[in-house]
Amino acid sequence: MQKYVIRRLLLAVPVLLLSSLIVFGLMRVMPGDALIALMGESGNVGEKELAKLRKDLGLDRPYYQQYLLWLWQMVSLRPGDSIFTNEPIAVSLRKAIPVTLELAALAMIIGLVIAVPVGVLSATRQDKASDYAGRVVAVAGLSIPDFWLATLVITFAAIWVHWIPPIGYVSFWDSPWRNLQQFLLPAAILGYRLSAATMRMTRSTVLETLREDYVRTAWAKGLAGRIVVYKHALKNALIPVVTIVGGQLGTLLAGTFVVEQIFALPGMGRLTVEAILYRDYPVVQTNVMLVAATLVTLNLVVDLTYAWLDPRIRYQ
Amino acid sequence: MATVPLRVPLEDPASVTVSRAHALWRTMKKKPLGAVSAALLAVIVLMAIFADVLAPYDPLATQPEIRLSAPSRAHPFGTDDIGRDVLSRIIYGARISLWVGMLAVGIGTAAGMVIGLLCGYCEGRLDLIVQRVMDAIQAIPGLVLALAIVAVLKPSTTNAMLAIAMVIIPGNSRIVRGAVLTAKQNRYVEAAQAMGCRHPRIIMSHILPNVTAPILVIASIWLGNAILIEATLSFLGVGTQPPTPSWGLMLSSTGRAFMEQAPWLAIFPGLAISLAVLGFNLFGDTLRDAWDPKLRRSG
Repeated sequence: MQKYVIRRLLLAVPVLLLSSLIVFGLMRVMPGDALIALMGESGNVGEKELAKLRKDLGLDRPYYQQYLLWLWQMVSLRPGDSIFTNEPIAVSLRKAIPVTLELAALAMIIGLVIAVPVGVLSATRQDKASDYAGRVVAVAGLSIPDFWLATLVITFAAIWVHWIPPIGYVSFWDSPWRNLQQFLLPAAILGYRLSAATMRMTRSTVLETLREDYVRTAWAKGLAGRIVVYKHALKNALIPVVTIVGGQLGTLLAGTFVVEQIFALPGMGRLTVEAILYRDYPVVQTNVMLVAATLVTLNLVVDLTYAWLDPRIRYQ
Repeated sequence: MATVPLRVPLEDPASVTVSRAHALWRTMKKKPLGAVSAALLAVIVLMAIFADVLAPYDPLATQPEIRLSAPSRAHPFGTDDIGRDVLSRIIYGARISLWVGMLAVGIGTAAGMVIGLLCGYCEGRLDLIVQRVMDAIQAIPGLVLALAIVAVLKPSTTNAMLAIAMVIIPGNSRIVRGAVLTAKQNRYVEAAQAMGCRHPRIIMSHILPNVTAPILVIASIWLGNAILIEATLSFLGVGTQPPTPSWGLMLSSTGRAFMEQAPWLAIFPGLAISLAVLGFNLFGDTLRDAWDPKLRRSG
């Protein structure tokens, strides 16, 4: 097992290096740069001043030097400052990560609470009305754009209930109630979308597992239906579900920016997208690498979870 | 030395097409949702093709005197903030969504197929290097990658399409690579190699027919996603640019701004996106059930 983990971690190094090259390259071939975006906001600045700023920020150096310097900053966990706001990136991340983690955790919980029971119900009542209802709800969840759902929910809540989520992020520790008011709607919207894929997967794997011999034996032994389904079938059906959930967690770390934008939540997604639009190279590069590293780690954790769920799986 | 004439039976492409069409027809008869999705897609495709005939008004013609009119007999989906007919814009918007979806998926699938075929067939160092590049692209969240590519190429419909294609390539190449590795184990491929068939012929005649089913199934599922990504990019202002009618752009530009005053501006474009994506998702499921039940686990 240890050897397997070490091998996987070593294999992750070239993948992350390539990802870093792609991100660095993309940011450098973008038309315009952060300084032009910055000066566009603050007024006219002469060529000389721009050249001086570029020199101060190291943007006048050859690309390979800029890349190596950034790589060193990443490895030494000192990602530098934002070009646009001048704030240290570590500080921006310290503010954004808790927001995204809270949103992701709530969305995952809501998604799983909906997906697993409905998926199991759909499988155990295959081709009955409840199965069709569950499947239609799942496919709808995959098809409805989250930005549309978010816009509708905010507007109709404002029109009908005269309520809008509080603006301006408040941490859970400062005011739990206000914080939950801010997070529950976006988490529910994201959770519904996540639940759709998990629900479909749970249904199909539980259906497969329910046809296995050992499940038939459990039925023949006269065990209660709930025990057969939840104790015997579900645990073995969970492996592909875990794969999907692992992937979703990775997506949530940077893929929620539209919902973050609509609900004015200052998370990682919003930080990254704003940085892309303002050509804030260091912030984009650091955020994307952070997400890429998390995704690679999550994939490993997901693979290791298989062995826990199914003891027949061994890693060497 | 006596030689034995060896003939590798080749599948007649026409019979493959007929049997696939037959399998699809049988599945649609068994699962009415498949037929419903096919009908829904047919409506959207016809809407896109005959937009000039079907749209009651010019989608760009403004009539400020009837701005923000509620749905009525003259304007069934109402009008927007500068008096343009929303129904006509939605009908024309189908063109953009389908065009972007089909071309993005076409480019992404074709490129993914070539990469997957080469990696799976050649294996070795080429496979190792190219697959690590694919891993690296996949490690970057799809929407962030698409957004960065559009920012590099400048916001436009064509560039949004290219960005979506880039997001599609790695996943497709992996699926094709896996299918090629499996197909290579078949006896008839070994026989063709033993006969001295050239590699391009082996790939085109013996391996490619085995990987078309998973490719088509995945492509149909990706079409829905591509429409969704285009709508998201347009919603963020980096996809289709005004005044071209695009469903995502309609939602972000006027839909959100006038949501309380004129909710139809957000409701109808959102419904159009949802129905189109739903149609492709359900049709993708039907294709998968008909042609490649092994893929059922992929969601």
